[in-house]
Amino acid sequence: MTDRNRTGNRRLAWSALLVLMTIASAAKAELLIRITEGADSAIPVAVVPFAETGNLPADNNVSRIVRDDLTMSGEFRTLAPEKMLSLPSRREDVYFRDWKILGQRYVLVGELKKNADRVVARYELFDVNRQERILGETASASVNSVRSLAHHISDKVYEAITGVKGAFSTRLAYVTLETVNGKSRYRLQVSDVDGQRASIRLESGEPILSPAWSPDGKKLAYVSFETGKPVIFVHELATGKRTKVADYPGLNSAPAWSPDGRYLLMTLSRDGNAEIYRKDLQTGDLRRVTNHWAIDTEAMYDNTGDGLFFTSDRSGGPQIYRMDSLGAEPRRITFGSRYNARPRPGPDGRYVYYVHQRDGAFHIARTDLKSGQETILTRTGSDESPSLSPNGRMLIYATKQDGKGVLTVISVDGGAAFSLPASEGEVREPAWGPITQ
Amino acid sequence: MRQTERTQDAGVQPPWASPVAMSVVLHLVIVVIAVVGWSWMDDTPEAPPRSISARLIAPQPEPSPVVSETDQPDQDRERQAEEARKQAAEEEQRNQEKAREIAAEKARKAEAEQKAREQQKQREQEQQRQQEQARKAEEAKAKAKAEEAAKQKAEAEAKAKAAAEAAKKREEAARKQAELEKQKREEAARKAAEAKKAQEAAERKRQEQERKLREQQLQALAEKARAAEQAEAERQRQAAAAKAQEARMLSESEKYQGLIRERLSRAWYPPSSATEEMTARLRISLLPTGELASVELVSSSGNSAFDNSALSAVRSLERYPVPDDRQTFDRYFRQFTIEFNPRRLK
Repeated sequence: MTDRNRTGNRRLAWSALLVLMTIASAAKAELLIRITEGADSAIPVAVVPFAETGNLPADNNVSRIVRDDLTMSGEFRTLAPEKMLSLPSRREDVYFRDWKILGQRYVLVGELKKNADRVVARYELFDVNRQERILGETASASVNSVRSLAHHISDKVYEAITGVKGAFSTRLAYVTLETVNGKSRYRLQVSDVDGQRASIRLESGEPILSPAWSPDGKKLAYVSFETGKPVIFVHELATGKRTKVADYPGLNSAPAWSPDGRYLLMTLSRDGNAEIYRKDLQTGDLRRVTNHWAIDTEAMYDNTGDGLFFTSDRSGGPQIYRMDSLGAEPRRITFGSRYNARPRPGPDGRYVYYVHQRDGAFHIARTDLKSGQETILTRTGSDESPSLSPNGRMLIYATKQDGKGVLTVISVDGGAAFSLPASEGEVREPAWGPITQ
Repeated sequence: MRQTERTQDAGVQPPWASPVAMSVVLHLVIVVIAVVGWSWMDDTPEAPPRSISARLIAPQPEPSPVVSETDQPDQDRERQAEEARKQAAEEEQRNQEKAREIAAEKARKAEAEQKAREQQKQREQEQQRQQEQARKAEEAKAKAKAEEAAKQKAEAEAKAKAAAEAAKKREEAARKQAELEKQKREEAARKAAEAKKAQEAAERKRQEQERKLREQQLQALAEKARAAEQAEAERQRQAAAAKAQEARMLSESEKYQGLIRERLSRAWYPPSSATEEMTARLRISLLPTGELASVELVSSSGNSAFDNSALSAVRSLERYPVPDDRQTFDRYFRQFTIEFNPRRLK
């Protein structure tokens, strides 16, 4: 009774207080300003040239590589070193006011030292407005791998600012075509994400298509016509060892790995019509996944690893379909135009990216799987073969520049495009590799 | 001895009267008597049978009477008379002997008779004694029996007495117990009555308190209602009075809110990890010049990159656009909250 009274009194007191507070706040009506839109431009970052001690390789400018990486992401806008008021390499030399005047949000400073056959980098990232250090680390790499060290720093800076893992230390696979004296040379190449350190893994006079990285980044699956017909190979990058995994009558194409690396989805026409199959790489078992009179192809596992996306012309033209699990009833995803193909699901499961044709031009587009809203991401016109970075933030695709095939990287938010330096001839069929440690 | 002495003194007398002869004769007589008397003496009566049954015994011959020698005269004084008397004595002795024999016979007979009588008497006595014994035994038996009975009776009585006493004790105990229980019951009843009384009193008190409390609450409610009414009236009056001023200030404030929103939107770079679900709230304090006095993250988005982007945006403005009117500034912009939520991601 007494307790209840006390509780009641306390409640009454609280209610009174609440009423008072409400009245007070009503009287004061504290202002609330809602910010629902951010800047459309990229984040301004100053990457100050690193101080160097010791005889470092001249052609491997770490701060420049970091600057290029951040720029390529489309999410950052870097300040040219000649515009900097000072070139600090330590915190005590950083004058935040200067960087604020220059409109910079973040400043990266650091120094490089040669230690025996290794290069050691000590670097710090500061938030100019908050005047706080948000990253500080020492990292090292062999003298021959200064680029790897630079990409590592880019990854760390990217993650510290955006909260998303960086993908600058990953690799790309793509196919180049060079025609010399009427003879075509197809080359399967692997490079850094900025196109540097490219190496040829396979060369053939016949087409090479659809390279696909294994989840551990150690193997590539691709289609090669070297035998005169399309055959799917699995190629170990470290050893160069190649294994024929699909050489069935008819079409053998569009290989795609399961997230656990055990299965390979592929398109086969062994039964007369192009259908999607799943091959168990351990047992060699083959399971037919689709069964339709139309063409079903270009399958990719979704982010869960249970379902898949694929292209089918069962509705008349090529459209993207989704199967929630192997053998489930497919659902059509794209409706925006008569041509939508080559689906590439994003790692967060929210979007699916694909080639979209409109008014005779091919673009890269994406559909929000939650809302069904479609967004066209590129404007160039002959865009094809999209491939997502493993963090889902960048997308590389093949396009034409001055009539020549090149690779372009964009931010999935539709930011600035960055074209990879074109080698001789055409570049096509890019495939972005996984993040590996 | 005496006979030997006599014989020596009679050497001149006839042979037959000589003391030797006399002694021999006397001795012979004595021997005979002795033999006869011995055999008589030997004939002792049979011990009466122990049994109480009597047995008739044939009468025994009377024994010869025993010659008493107590009256023999003194040797010296009677030596002359002795001679004379010897004749007579011998005659006398013969006669006496004859008489003695008769007497002995008689005595024997009498003795026998006496004996028979005595035996009879003894038997009778014995019988009597036995009877007496039997009687006594009977009596003893009876007495023992009586004693036994008495004893049993006594024991029974003792037992009965003990039982009675025990019963009495039990009764006493039971009585006491009953008394005690009664007392207890009475005590309990008394206590219960008291408790009930106390409870009733408490209940009355509680009811009284509740009643008072209700009254107080009702009064408080009434007062509260009155106060609320007054407050409402006051508020309405104030609102009406302040409306014009408020409208003026609000329009002014809205103008500067829009300016701040625009500046912050340009200054904010939502990180690529941002989602539409993320919201960060910051409390801002400004100086009347529009300079940032302080900023505090009051509600995190859960994503540190997002929170930092918001903080960075707020701190990036050198000077916030604020109204010159001090009242409007104090009212809206001295302290306010900014919410960052990317409802529309780029």
